[in-house]
Amino acid sequence: MAGTMTVASKELRDQFGSKRFLILLGLIVVLGSLSAYQGVDYIRNNVGSSFVYIFSGARMSFSFIQIMVFFGPILGLALGFDSVNKERTNGTLSMVLGQPIYRDSVINGKFIAGAVALITLAFSTIAIMCGITIPMLGFAPTLEEALKIGALTMLTTVYLLLWLSLGILYSVVFKRTSTSILFSIATWMTFSIVLSILAAALSMALVPPDGDFIDEGGPGEQGWERFTISPEYMEAMQERQALQSAIQNLSPTHLYQITASSILGVSSFGFGSQEFARTATLPEALANNWANIAVLAVVMVVAFAASYMAFLRIEIRPGD
Amino acid sequence: MENVVETHQLTKAYGEFVAVNELDMEIKRGEIFGFLGPNGAGKTTTILMLMGLSVPTKGTAIVAGHDIVEESREVRTVASILPEYSSLYGDLTAWENLDYIGKLNDQPKEEREDRVAEMLEIVGMSMWADTKLESFSRGMKQRVGIASALMKNPQIVFLDEPTIGLDPVATKEVRELVLKLNREKELTVVLASHLLHEVQVTCNKIGILNRGKLILLESMENLNRVMSGGEDRRIELRLTETTPDLIKDLKAVNGVKSVTQENNALYVYGSVDSDLEVSKTIVSHGAYILMMKPREYTLEEIFMKYYNQEVAG
Repeated sequence: MAGTMTVASKELRDQFGSKRFLILLGLIVVLGSLSAYQGVDYIRNNVGSSFVYIFSGARMSFSFIQIMVFFGPILGLALGFDSVNKERTNGTLSMVLGQPIYRDSVINGKFIAGAVALITLAFSTIAIMCGITIPMLGFAPTLEEALKIGALTMLTTVYLLLWLSLGILYSVVFKRTSTSILFSIATWMTFSIVLSILAAALSMALVPPDGDFIDEGGPGEQGWERFTISPEYMEAMQERQALQSAIQNLSPTHLYQITASSILGVSSFGFGSQEFARTATLPEALANNWANIAVLAVVMVVAFAASYMAFLRIEIRPGD
Repeated sequence: MENVVETHQLTKAYGEFVAVNELDMEIKRGEIFGFLGPNGAGKTTTILMLMGLSVPTKGTAIVAGHDIVEESREVRTVASILPEYSSLYGDLTAWENLDYIGKLNDQPKEEREDRVAEMLEIVGMSMWADTKLESFSRGMKQRVGIASALMKNPQIVFLDEPTIGLDPVATKEVRELVLKLNREKELTVVLASHLLHEVQVTCNKIGILNRGKLILLESMENLNRVMSGGEDRRIELRLTETTPDLIKDLKAVNGVKSVTQENNALYVYGSVDSDLEVSKTIVSHGAYILMMKPREYTLEEIFMKYYNQEVAG
């Protein structure tokens, strides 16, 4: 354990001192604050709105959830993608492993440091958002809202740690940092952008529209042609939507998005388009989304377990 | 004297490629062991196995009484490694690097601080304790590297090509440091190198490794005898004149095995007893001896002899 904490404290110092982390932290805090400010604007204009809407940022192009959907993978992967292979390239890994510590101390220490950095980032961003908005609104969140914010923070932490675990896995599996950064970018693009496009394209191809609009003949009261949607068409659209959603569920970003939105009591559909739904209670939201949360946690654990096993099997060779 | 390293049939293969092939050797406490061989001979792989960092494919090894596989962590408490290339953090100062190593060795704060100060003093880097390594020259980095290898107070230290890329002054400094540590701390040193001169002036025992096989293991003092085949030796002579008749007569001297001429020097190979007759023969031909000295084999000659034998199969 002494070795783990020694490695963790050194890594943490490196993380907090790195330009990479400070730039990302600054960016997230600034964007989070801006989204909170816009949330305040919405709450002021809609009397009775929940405090948690500061995280859903109505009437604006981004919200905290969307910031995390987009930047969360970058944050986690950036803190992990070169954590092991950089040491191999620099020759410091053989020096560290040449000390009388257990080998898993190194990988555990690196994960702990990354986790602490990301937890700090998530907590501080959410705390800053609340800190900015409470004086502006003149009221604090209720207990239920505070619990929702707490749940959102926990979910965001699990989500960020998932990406950290994947980043560390790449840094263990690939000997070169250039390869692991390429895989990190590819993973981020796949889950954040490509999969949703693919899901839409696939669902359209696999479930073609069945039935059509029915022309009811003649102009309506306002002079427009009157159409209704046929039941077959409606059914096909629902089937397509279900398929698209099922494909998108392969993406941790999508799972995070729908779960976080559910916890906050909003439904969020990407940049710039948000719909507010009936505000579910926290237990309802958790009950509806426990599978999503479990998947995020399991993926995180599996990715870390894989990197742990791979690291223990690393063969130190001349030049490492 | 007690063995610090003992290997038995130590073998490491990466797939089909055998990096180290059935290595049997012993290194005694307090020795400076020169591990010689061309690039890719298996020196570094052997060191990594002896440090418990790489698992042998076959065979065993004991380092300071600990099995390298079963007790690799214990091995790493008594053995240190200075890898071929800089193995310290450039963004940390010399002090911070050593302090980190002390922490990894679970040294209490006070003991650690004293040790860091002592090690920096030994390698002559106290002045630069608070300077980041990235601004050091390669020689300075190697000095801090040696200090880092000594932080745990090891019984044996493996130095893998410690002077590679260093200028002559830094090379000499590192060499003198190794000798000083061996003398003052009775440290066993394994020096892997392909620089023959460095090994010759530093080590008291050598092992020559080629394509993973140990082709020679001998103390430096025995090497010349081994090379010349027992009691024989060679004498280098500088004469006022050298004639074919003189060479012919020298070859006829009892105990002389051969005579060769290279540039202005004459080399006489034979037994010690033949020296007087050789001198008399030269004088009898009207020549004068300007210089007469026994000539030892250079490590390069020794290395090339064994290397060529091995290559020839």
